[in-house]
Amino acid sequence: MTRWLVVRGLQALLTFALVAVLLFFLMRLAPGDPLSRLSGEQQISPREIEHLRAQYGLDQPVWRQFVTWVASVGRGDLGDSIEYGRPVTSLIAERLPATMLLGGTVLLINFSLGLWLGVVQAVRRGTPLDRWLTAASLAGYALPSFWLGLVLAWLMAVLLRLLPAGGLQNPLLSPDAPMWVRGLDVAAHLVLPATTLVIVSIASTMRYQRRAMLEVLPLPYIVAARAKGLPERLVLRRHAWRNALFPVLTLAGLWLPILATGSVFVESVFAWPGLGSLAAGAVGTRDYPLLMGTALLVSALIVLGGLLADIAYGLLDPRIRWT
Amino acid sequence: MASAILRFAVRSGAWAWALCAPLSAQTGDPDALVIVTGQQATMPIPTCMEGPQNLTANSDVADQLFLRLAELPPDLVTTDERRFVPVLARSWTRRDSLTLAFDLDPRARWHNGQPVTAGDVVFTFDRARNPKVAPKLAGLLRHLVSVAAEGERRVVMRFDRVYAEQFYDATFNVAPIPSGLVPADAGPCPAVNPVGSGPFRWVRSVPGQFVELAADPGFFLGAPKIRRLFFRTAADPEARVNLLLSGEADATDNIPSPPLSNVERVEEAPGLRVVPLASPVLGYLLFNQRDRTDSTKPHPILGDRNVRRAIALALDRRRMVQSVFGRYGEVPYGPASRLLWIQRSAPAAAGQDTAEARRLLSKSGWVTRNEDGVLTRDGRPLALSLNYPLTSEARKQIALQVQEQLRGVGIQIDLQRLEGPVWAERRSRGNFDIDFSSATQDPTPSGLTQSWSCSGGTNVAHYCDPGVDSLLGRAITSPPGSAAGRLWQEVLRRIEADQPAVPMYSIAYVYAVSRRFRKAPLRAESSWLRVREWSR
Amino acid sequence: MDLTDLPGTLAAGVWRKPSGRAALVTLGIIAALAIAGPPFLPDPAAQPDVIGQASLPPGPGHPFGTDQLSRDVLARVVGGARISLAVAGLAVLVSITIGAGVGLVAGYLGGVVDATLMRFVDAALAIPRLFILLLLLAVWDHIPLAALIVILGTTGWFGTSRLVRGEVLRLRHQDFVTGAEALGARRARVMFRHLFPNTLGPLLVAATLGVGDVILLEAGLSFLGLGIQPPRPSWGGMIFDAKSVLVTAPWTSIFPGLAIAATVLAVNLLGDALSGAVDPRQS
Repeated sequence: MTRWLVVRGLQALLTFALVAVLLFFLMRLAPGDPLSRLSGEQQISPREIEHLRAQYGLDQPVWRQFVTWVASVGRGDLGDSIEYGRPVTSLIAERLPATMLLGGTVLLINFSLGLWLGVVQAVRRGTPLDRWLTAASLAGYALPSFWLGLVLAWLMAVLLRLLPAGGLQNPLLSPDAPMWVRGLDVAAHLVLPATTLVIVSIASTMRYQRRAMLEVLPLPYIVAARAKGLPERLVLRRHAWRNALFPVLTLAGLWLPILATGSVFVESVFAWPGLGSLAAGAVGTRDYPLLMGTALLVSALIVLGGLLADIAYGLLDPRIRWT
Repeated sequence: MASAILRFAVRSGAWAWALCAPLSAQTGDPDALVIVTGQQATMPIPTCMEGPQNLTANSDVADQLFLRLAELPPDLVTTDERRFVPVLARSWTRRDSLTLAFDLDPRARWHNGQPVTAGDVVFTFDRARNPKVAPKLAGLLRHLVSVAAEGERRVVMRFDRVYAEQFYDATFNVAPIPSGLVPADAGPCPAVNPVGSGPFRWVRSVPGQFVELAADPGFFLGAPKIRRLFFRTAADPEARVNLLLSGEADATDNIPSPPLSNVERVEEAPGLRVVPLASPVLGYLLFNQRDRTDSTKPHPILGDRNVRRAIALALDRRRMVQSVFGRYGEVPYGPASRLLWIQRSAPAAAGQDTAEARRLLSKSGWVTRNEDGVLTRDGRPLALSLNYPLTSEARKQIALQVQEQLRGVGIQIDLQRLEGPVWAERRSRGNFDIDFSSATQDPTPSGLTQSWSCSGGTNVAHYCDPGVDSLLGRAITSPPGSAAGRLWQEVLRRIEADQPAVPMYSIAYVYAVSRRFRKAPLRAESSWLRVREWSR
Repeated sequence: MDLTDLPGTLAAGVWRKPSGRAALVTLGIIAALAIAGPPFLPDPAAQPDVIGQASLPPGPGHPFGTDQLSRDVLARVVGGARISLAVAGLAVLVSITIGAGVGLVAGYLGGVVDATLMRFVDAALAIPRLFILLLLLAVWDHIPLAALIVILGTTGWFGTSRLVRGEVLRLRHQDFVTGAEALGARRARVMFRHLFPNTLGPLLVAATLGVGDVILLEAGLSFLGLGIQPPRPSWGGMIFDAKSVLVTAPWTSIFPGLAIAATVLAVNLLGDALSGAVDPRQS
């Protein structure tokens, strides 16, 4: 197991490095550069653009930019964002908490509620409850997140004025207000974006869990456990559940990056100050240093998600041995 | 089971609401003003707002923190120095046709208590005129050859030539900053607390959310009535409208159209007032004069003035503008937005005339139609691509109408909706037939040379008419008065006749302000400049 | 389980279940409208009157109302069905096939093969699809519909392969697999005869949910200048276009939204019925 972890970790590092190199060159091969936007909208002359290009080192050949970049990453420096004129690491650090708060809340609710509802559906397959949950969850799934977000914001914030329409905190609330008041304020701002994301994403957890349970329930060992007279609750929890968790675990691994990327649409509809909208903006402006910084973070989480899923498989089923 | 799930949902909803209700009581402040805008200020310091930092958001905040020497008169005429409004400079005198002397207001103080000195002004202009520090400003100030201090309070500026907008250049483009706030030499500005001389002081910036400013009680032109000023950020236009309608923001600059319904929703809201203001935005279809694959050759179709003219006449521009901007848009005459004073005396733009358009096309040999109804000449169809960036909803909707209307006269338009940088790349390389451009123009008409003179820096379509060039040169140097006005009209007329572009729209920005504020003057050239005079 | 007589039994099995029947009928109606509808409807690109007839609510003449450019929403929903369904169906087919193949091979063979394939998947997931698409855009001015389907299909299988691999890892030590191996079955046979049918569960869920994803994703691509260009309608594109008039002209987004929801629901019911037909113990 230890050896496997070491090998697997090395693989992950290699993948990560490869992705970083690939991304670096892909980004520069894509049409447009950080300054092309300026020539599109502002009355700025080619001479001024040249000055700026030199200032940001964009006039260098790509391989030299790469060498410079690798050297500074080696020192733990991701460079300065061109758009914001500030270090990429501090930009990411500022935005990460908001994204993780939203992403974490959504993942938590999604997997706890989704797993539960999926099991409920499988146990009561064919009943009206099963059918209604299927229809409702899929209806949510088919909605684009911005659509639902706008409707919720309009209904709850504009029409009923129950909840804030956007942002992470009320700017008028003094930073010296008591902790619990500020916490409550953030929680109130969290409700609508989190609800939106849960509604549009919970269907897949429910569907995978329902299907996996349906496959496990008729298996001989479950039937045997029931025949032994074990209460249904125990049968489900001890025997059926364990084996039906595999797809959902994979899914959880695949969704781990949401912690860092959030959802661009929901962030923008609710003016949520997360990393997702920062990264999306960086694509639109070709802010290379910022793009590389966020892409590296996301890649790390993707690799980590795969690794965690593999470890979880092993814990769940001891017959899976990693060598 | 079903009822259990329902109960759970209802119960958690009720809890959430009950917890959040007491919050609203915590945050009421009648003397606070929350303005919601699309971007957040990153570096609101004059001479640092260059390149990617050249954002409206930065200028908006800088306007509150830093005072200019003088401000534009209410009608935005840029050529008459006697009508400018004194601010940081108490008065000015003209020593000769090349030299201006400014006397600083002795009451002016930086937010740290230090007096504003002539040395500070010189420091600022030294930075602004250095192309390594501020390439754009240096370009704008290229005729300003020296800025020197005479004593503590007098600044003398010398120009290298006589022209009507010397005073505008000396005052509008840059507001003085205290010497030593940022390093004097090149390199990106460090993140510092902006210490200014304006009505508001810097308090804090919460990344991605808002910037907070506070009134400076000792401001020498009178302390503002607004005590706390917030610039909130919401990139999505619908999110901005929601914040406004839910009462979480008091004002916004430019509610985007289309859809017009956004503006209509705000107009219908009882607590809000809608204020249209002339904008510097000009939308136009730019015709490539050269072949898109070989810029030494003329464009095979658009090199012909008849075709360009026919396209302009085949379009019902007024109808398009009305459908997209309602009463907040108009069709400009020549490539000048309505913020430019020269647009005010211009005639009305030509209307739709499909018969004349057809006549012009057949005159140039576009006669037979192929099976799709597209005109052909020597077997080649009259097909053109039209590029526009995907971020602009207005351009998308107009482009779709252009496509449909030109189909009527037998011109095929292939719409190319492109990601922003891709669109800009193709535009600056001249890789397009028709480009749906949008320019944010400076308040001065002299900016037109950049796009419409033969050697203009941003003339990507390679339009060149020596007649226009000489007219532009004469208009810029002629002294203020009716002669200058006539020359500028002649420039517009000549460009309009040759049709290197079809001016499509000039719009008003639609601002919204809470009715809570009785007195709330706004400015077209720098929106929130007068917040210092706002009151309930 | 034997795969040879599958199609016939499956179809009969699906039709026998009420939900399966409902799904088939719904999809049949949508397909019939998409194929036969357009001649009876206005031109989906026509803009009869951009001021007088823009954003009309549903009513006589325009059963689904009109959009901001006075185009008939019903005609656009029907006109968009063909493209949206074709793109979604084909792209999902491509991505599911590749995903299943890679997942099976990686999970069953394990070792170096597994490591290589899965690290490739990690890398592919980490590189934003956007950049690959932008590169294509740099090379070609226009991207034809067939290429769009290939792009969507070949960049959409990474998650599926991980799901299938996870299932295979769970199954490969179970008695029916080890038994077949002990009897000397070839590896290909074990994979496709024994393992593959047992991964159908998550695979069907992935496929049926994928349909909804791809319809919206296509719209995202057409925004980049790839894929379907205006004035041709597609469901996803219509929803994105109507984003800003959601509150004031809801019909412009509700009808294409309903079309997508009906399709996703029908496809999912079909998937349920299918797996019920494959494994009768479940129902």
